[in-house]
Amino acid sequence: MFKKFKDKPAGLLSHSDLRTVKGQTVHWIFVAILFVFSLIAIVPTIWVVMTAFKDTQEIYSGFTFFPQDMSWNRIVTRISESWAILRLGGTIVDTLFKSIGDVAFTLVFCGFAGYALSKLKPIGHKVVFTLVVWTMMMPTQIRMVPNYMTMLHFPFAYDWGGVNLLNTYWPLWLNQACASYTIILFKNNFDALSTSYVEAARIDGCSDAGIFFRIMLPLSVPIVMYVSIGALQVAWADYFNPLIYLTDNITLPLKLLRMKNDPTVRMNTYFMGLIFGTIPPLIIFLICQRHILGGITVGGVKG
Amino acid sequence: MKLSKNKGAVSVSATKRKMKIRNDINGWLFLLPTVIMLYILIWRPTVLGAVWSFFKMHAYTVGDFIGLDNFKMVINHSRFWQMMSNTLMYVFWSLVIGFLPPAIIAIMINEVVYFKQSTRILIYVPTIIPGIVAYLMWTYIYAPDNTGLLNMLLSKIGIAPYEWLNDAKFTIAGLNIQSAWKNMGSAMLLYYACLQGASIELYEAAILDGAGMFRRAWTVTRPALSATLLLNFVNQIISVFQALDAPLVMTGGGPNGASANLGFQLYQYAFNSGGRGTGQAMALGVIIFVVLLVATLFYFWINKRIEDSY
Repeated sequence: MFKKFKDKPAGLLSHSDLRTVKGQTVHWIFVAILFVFSLIAIVPTIWVVMTAFKDTQEIYSGFTFFPQDMSWNRIVTRISESWAILRLGGTIVDTLFKSIGDVAFTLVFCGFAGYALSKLKPIGHKVVFTLVVWTMMMPTQIRMVPNYMTMLHFPFAYDWGGVNLLNTYWPLWLNQACASYTIILFKNNFDALSTSYVEAARIDGCSDAGIFFRIMLPLSVPIVMYVSIGALQVAWADYFNPLIYLTDNITLPLKLLRMKNDPTVRMNTYFMGLIFGTIPPLIIFLICQRHILGGITVGGVKG
Repeated sequence: MKLSKNKGAVSVSATKRKMKIRNDINGWLFLLPTVIMLYILIWRPTVLGAVWSFFKMHAYTVGDFIGLDNFKMVINHSRFWQMMSNTLMYVFWSLVIGFLPPAIIAIMINEVVYFKQSTRILIYVPTIIPGIVAYLMWTYIYAPDNTGLLNMLLSKIGIAPYEWLNDAKFTIAGLNIQSAWKNMGSAMLLYYACLQGASIELYEAAILDGAGMFRRAWTVTRPALSATLLLNFVNQIISVFQALDAPLVMTGGGPNGASANLGFQLYQYAFNSGGRGTGQAMALGVIIFVVLLVATLFYFWINKRIEDSY
């Protein structure tokens, strides 16, 4: 009846277990538990979508899970109505601009640093690497106020002149330059690539920049993808740094947070805003699904 | 003949040295931007935060040396010990609710034959939702009237609405349920990847030796996960100890300070005190830093003990 049971590789349940009633029972109990967890995972999400398409009166009187009217017409009106009330267009463009900047800073700064630490190994690289590892474990909150003060008169900590970076995207971008975990990821990735590539290219007269861009980078596409997807998702969702550093041109997460206390935005419209905020990461996920769910194979060559 | 050989050797080592210097310069050109940013945004502010915690701060400028006054003000805050215990409760509940379930789910997904792929994707759904959206939607899920999802479901089975996050006893657990829900997918994926490392031969050998299901779980599955589990255990303690997003977005520290933790208080000192609390913010930062440093050292000590025992 259940043909797939025969091909089950050995594990906690192997094909010999699955031949017995006890093994099969355990298997279906597992499936049932996973089904419950899947429900827990998706029901809140579905509820948000459903509520976004309800009428205001329906939310405050009906208390039903699904909206009464779910026709195509209704969906289109709810979306266009909410879009007109929320006016998120400009914010979404700003957030995209800010997020792409975040990713660019992560890739350039952390990629270069990881490459230097792995392949060029200039004098003092061991000290730098140890400091980077320590940085990863350092609690962040002790530097919250000093960081803010640095951004008031960048790059100085005291008021010695310098540039006021508040209310620009620079504080957010510069923060991405020191993502220590990403530096280590890149270093590990380049460690896995053979040094003979570098040597061969150098003998052929290739410059260090040329080696990086023409040889190392094409071999590192998986890790670049992995880091970019992760950085983009974090950048899109970040509300805390904008909360500290931005007053105008605030990004979408902060806008959604502020809108919560806006009495003119009703619950269904607000939930539509939450959906608008989820669509970009959802698109990224759907495009890059294989890279995310398949796990990563960091490193270009093996063996 | 001899001379020329020596000459050659000298020039080779000279070019080698030249190449080494060139390599150092190039390497530092790649490294310098990041090192400068690490210095300006992480290393220097960490040291300055510790130093300035002993100074009187006038909003965001540094004043005179005042010794331990900032620390005294932090500890004498009427709610300091409540916030300390709240912080520990956050850690406790996050471990109870969020630590083992992802590993167990990963093991189950690894073992089932049917619905394997679909459950994996469904459980991953909350991870795709941006963090802030997840916080905001859960504040509505916990809404104290019938518009909230939980109370709506309760009303269907005829139970009066419950006030969830407004209940001082439930609020911290409630916030941790939210974070467990959000993080379940990514942690599950990580453990699932680790389980692929447990070799099938080991399981087959265990079966031949007559090991039952529980014995196989203990002797084959557990070792495949233990390193990652330990790492996640420590990471979770460290990150939850510092967390401030959930109370900041979902409860505002309420009701009556029941969900305020040290990180939340630090944010209030730093940015919501009209500039009067910035000194205390750094003093509190130093306190958190020291507690976590002790925890990290303890981790290294216990990690070494565990490694030695194998």
